[in-house]
Amino acid sequence: MEEKPFKALAKSSGRQGSGKSSRHSDIRKLWTTATLSQPKVNVALSSVCDDSEASSVGGNTRRWYDQKAGRHSDIGWEDSEDGEDKDSFRQEELEEHSLLELQLHGGSSLGSRLEEGDDDARTETERSSSMSSLNFSKHTHHRAYWVEQQSRLPLPLRELMENEALEILTKALQSYRSGIGRDHFLTKQLQRHIEGLKRRRNKRLHVSVH
Amino acid sequence: MKLKKGSFLWYLYLDKLYCLLSVRNVKALVDYFHLLDVHHKNTLNDVLFYHFLHHVTNLTRTQINIVFNMLDWSAVGEIGFDQFYMLVCILLAQENRLEERFIFRHSRPVFELLDVDGELRVGAANFHMYNFLFNIKRQELRELYHDFDITGDRRLNYKEFKLFTIFFMDKYQERQKAEKEKALLEKKRSRQVNVSQKKSLLGLNGSESRI
Repeated sequence: MEEKPFKALAKSSGRQGSGKSSRHSDIRKLWTTATLSQPKVNVALSSVCDDSEASSVGGNTRRWYDQKAGRHSDIGWEDSEDGEDKDSFRQEELEEHSLLELQLHGGSSLGSRLEEGDDDARTETERSSSMSSLNFSKHTHHRAYWVEQQSRLPLPLRELMENEALEILTKALQSYRSGIGRDHFLTKQLQRHIEGLKRRRNKRLHVSVH
Repeated sequence: MKLKKGSFLWYLYLDKLYCLLSVRNVKALVDYFHLLDVHHKNTLNDVLFYHFLHHVTNLTRTQINIVFNMLDWSAVGEIGFDQFYMLVCILLAQENRLEERFIFRHSRPVFELLDVDGELRVGAANFHMYNFLFNIKRQELRELYHDFDITGDRRLNYKEFKLFTIFFMDKYQERQKAEKEKALLEKKRSRQVNVSQKKSLLGLNGSESRI
């Protein structure tokens, strides 16, 4: 069970587009070695990822890359097995970000509009908003990966845990209602907890569908 | 007692030597516990505990209540993570047929669990009450009290119980050995049967070709 998540992720990274796979595998490899050697890194990433949800994605992803590169320089990047130079790492990250933007320009959702010949009609604001939403969905996919790396629990296991907990708590809610009544604060607390779990599950399903 | 196939606990496993969970498994279990800890007290009350056990095992209501009372050693009406972890280890030990090894490795905590009254002595009734958890057969119980009740008070203190666990473990290892030898013998026999069948087939084919 300990080694399987890394192997499963390595296989899944290989199934992605060939153009992106080498860059993704490089970053994932670097991140994996970083987290293995530097436990403190885990703390900062979650707060950084939370920040990126609040404001526009484009600028924050760049800030995240900068912060990550800066943090590694503080901790001691030379401890990693690859021994990547922090300047080349930062450059690689920025290059990848710009490449992502280029790919989005040629992406399928934009591509259908281009084929129709509506390029000239579309305004600059429409383009940037669609780009940011695509950026956000791509970032969300990556975010799930980083969260998994941080928590070290495979996502399917996490899903199984939450689904099972939801079933157990739904049955417990019926006992609470019959035992202490619907209006009791413990019943309401349990109900809120169940609703929170359901929202999280729906959010996860929504991300996986898109 | 059986764990529900495909449940979260079913995917955990005990280290076979020490009968404990690995760090990764414990981390997963902590997260699971916090999902069930609805009131954010790092505990499960009796209702949540009942529904959890009812969902993941085939234990009856009476048995679940017995387990709850056994684990609620501070008598606060709630189960903390330590007790939850202990329970999961016991369930997994039974699921993976490691009861003897588990009792041997963790004789002190098991003794304290069985000693519900806090008298530092365990009677036959205590064993019998938790039989569904530790799977000690009636014959073994009789032997236990016959052979190990050195003080003669028809109850076991910890030292007598520890001797029993050593004996229990030896018996388990002998049984394992016997099962392995039996499996090897059966394998050899099936190979011999295959070889003789092949030889007879070759012999038949040879005689047909001559005809």
